Amino acid sequence: MSEDLESRLHAALTPVAPRSEFTQNLIARVNADKRTEANTRGRRRSPKATAWWLIAGMAASLLTAVGVQHHLQLRRQTESGLEARREVIEALHITSEKLNLAYEVIKSQSSSPADDRSGV
Amino acid sequence: MRNFSLGIFLALMAPTLAWAAPSPRLVLPEFTALAQQATESVTITLDAALLAMAGRFLNGDDAQDAATKEILKGLQGIYVRSYTFDKDSAYQQSDIDAVRNQLSAPGWNRLVRTRSRKSQANVDIYIMVANNQAIGLALIASEPRQFTIVNIVGAIDLDKLHKLEGQFGVPKFDVDVPKVPMPSIKK
Repeated sequence: MSEDLESRLHAALTPVAPRSEFTQNLIARVNADKRTEANTRGRRRSPKATAWWLIAGMAASLLTAVGVQHHLQLRRQTESGLEARREVIEALHITSEKLNLAYEVIKSQSSSPADDRSGV
Repeated sequence: MRNFSLGIFLALMAPTLAWAAPSPRLVLPEFTALAQQATESVTITLDAALLAMAGRFLNGDDAQDAATKEILKGLQGIYVRSYTFDKDSAYQQSDIDAVRNQLSAPGWNRLVRTRSRKSQANVDIYIMVANNQAIGLALIASEPRQFTIVNIVGAIDLDKLHKLEGQFGVPKFDVDVPKVPMPSIKK
């Protein structure tokens, strides 16, 4: 029984020569790994490039902030201008209305002088 | 040397003389208590900067805007206080007297004074003239339920102001506005 097991184990553990393309495949895989590593290393940014990107990002942020600020200021000015325009028209309207009131009194004076008095 | 001394004297006196010169700008009270009672109140304070800004937003192609733009030329300020109440005699004449007293100062001339017993509407129009040009206008209109004070500061072209009526849906003021200086100014 034990001899049988031993002989089977021995048969199973007998060294087998690799197939002929094994070495070629192995070398090809190793070369491919080396190329991949070299490419990855090439893509890594240098500190100089990183600094440049940082400056460019900051400049873009600054420009955006200035643009937004300018836009908001322009909008505030437009709102103030339109409000001032509305007030001017209202003020002149009120002035015109009161001048007309004086005119009405002067006009009615000619029809019934006892009611109204005016001096021009 | 004498001229030099005179120059220095005048330079030193200039601020005092400027202060003593009558100003077409009236000191309008805040009327805070009246504003709270009023059903409608209008407070407009437009200095030269705001008038210039408003002018930039007036469309020259529009008739009303164009007329307004013409009037704004040379103006340095427009100040309006107008209060409407829901009952008669809600304000005292003394409320207006503070303004009326300023118009008794030298430089102000009353152009029009109307008193209507029928409508109880009183309108006083004053102008200030300097170098044959109106440099200030004040209008006080008091009605039973409304009083309005208008003060316009600057080189006022009375003809343009006269033409203004009709632009805002108000009939034209047919009374001839006298050319400045007026021959029959009543004070």
